[in-house]
Amino acid sequence: MLYRNILWATAVLLTSFAKPVETKKWLISESSSLSVNGTTNINKFTCDIPAYDQTDTLMLSRRNKEIILSGDIRLKIQSFDCHNSMMTHDLRKTLKEKEFPRLHIRFLSLSEYPELTAKPATITGFVDIELAGASKRFQVNYQVSIDAQKNIHLLGSQDINFSDFNLIPPRKLGGMIKTNDKLSVAFHLKMKALN
Amino acid sequence: MKKIIVSGFITGCILFVVSYGGLYLAVRYFPSLFTEYFNPLFNSDGSRDVLFYLHAFIFSFALSWFWDRFKTMFKGVFILRGIEFGLVYSVIALLPVMWISFSALDITVAMVSSWFIYGLIQATVAGMVFAKLNP
Repeated sequence: MLYRNILWATAVLLTSFAKPVETKKWLISESSSLSVNGTTNINKFTCDIPAYDQTDTLMLSRRNKEIILSGDIRLKIQSFDCHNSMMTHDLRKTLKEKEFPRLHIRFLSLSEYPELTAKPATITGFVDIELAGASKRFQVNYQVSIDAQKNIHLLGSQDINFSDFNLIPPRKLGGMIKTNDKLSVAFHLKMKALN
Repeated sequence: MKKIIVSGFITGCILFVVSYGGLYLAVRYFPSLFTEYFNPLFNSDGSRDVLFYLHAFIFSFALSWFWDRFKTMFKGVFILRGIEFGLVYSVIALLPVMWISFSALDITVAMVSSWFIYGLIQATVAGMVFAKLNP
């Protein structure tokens, strides 16, 4: 019991001294976008959310060797546009838009501290994606860069499956026409540094 | 009654192969015709697949009774009797149903036309089989 108390006190002391080295705040701009690419046995489709309708921030901080990217984006399922009105309605129905109107991406960490240069740097990071009431953690591939106007570009891409979120890919005419389980999600966050 | 059931069942089996085989080939070789089926109007969770595949038998038993009742009105060789039977069914049953479907649902002329042709072919094939099994 004594040893456990000593260990606990040491852990508390160590964490209280380990302050973040630096914290950066990035404001997500409205021109950020997300696209989902999928395939069926008869065609390919792309559904986009062309603009982000909220003002949110991401916080980047470094604690010892850990790079924490915190913050989240909440996208309206209703904003998905598949460039075909029927397909758009079908996707929204598949994603249970009435019960779960938002797709939620929660940022968790980065593999390394991004050096912001014009040349995109490739890093990875973990996110939680919540869709249709189910949440799953993914390792996302990122490309981070900064342009001449000081806009920070964070491009993320990850393959997900309908089944990861307990969703059934749409199938029609007794399964003669069916959507494949895999979806490729790509998002492009345009951000401005606030500090 | 036995003739109605037996010819209905045999025709159902033939229609099952012809209808779903034809549909499979159409989806494979003319995929662009089927993109419109990604529409919330059509069931997409697979919960009604059994009903979908039973359609050939529902159709054949209904037509078998209709054939038995009115077969004396269809004259000539079995091919002609089948074609006439298919046309009669299409004008009496299919056309009004397609008309009301197009007027009420958000579907295209191409889709409704394909359903009409599909039903016409099914009824014609059924008519030919009935003319052989239950002349």
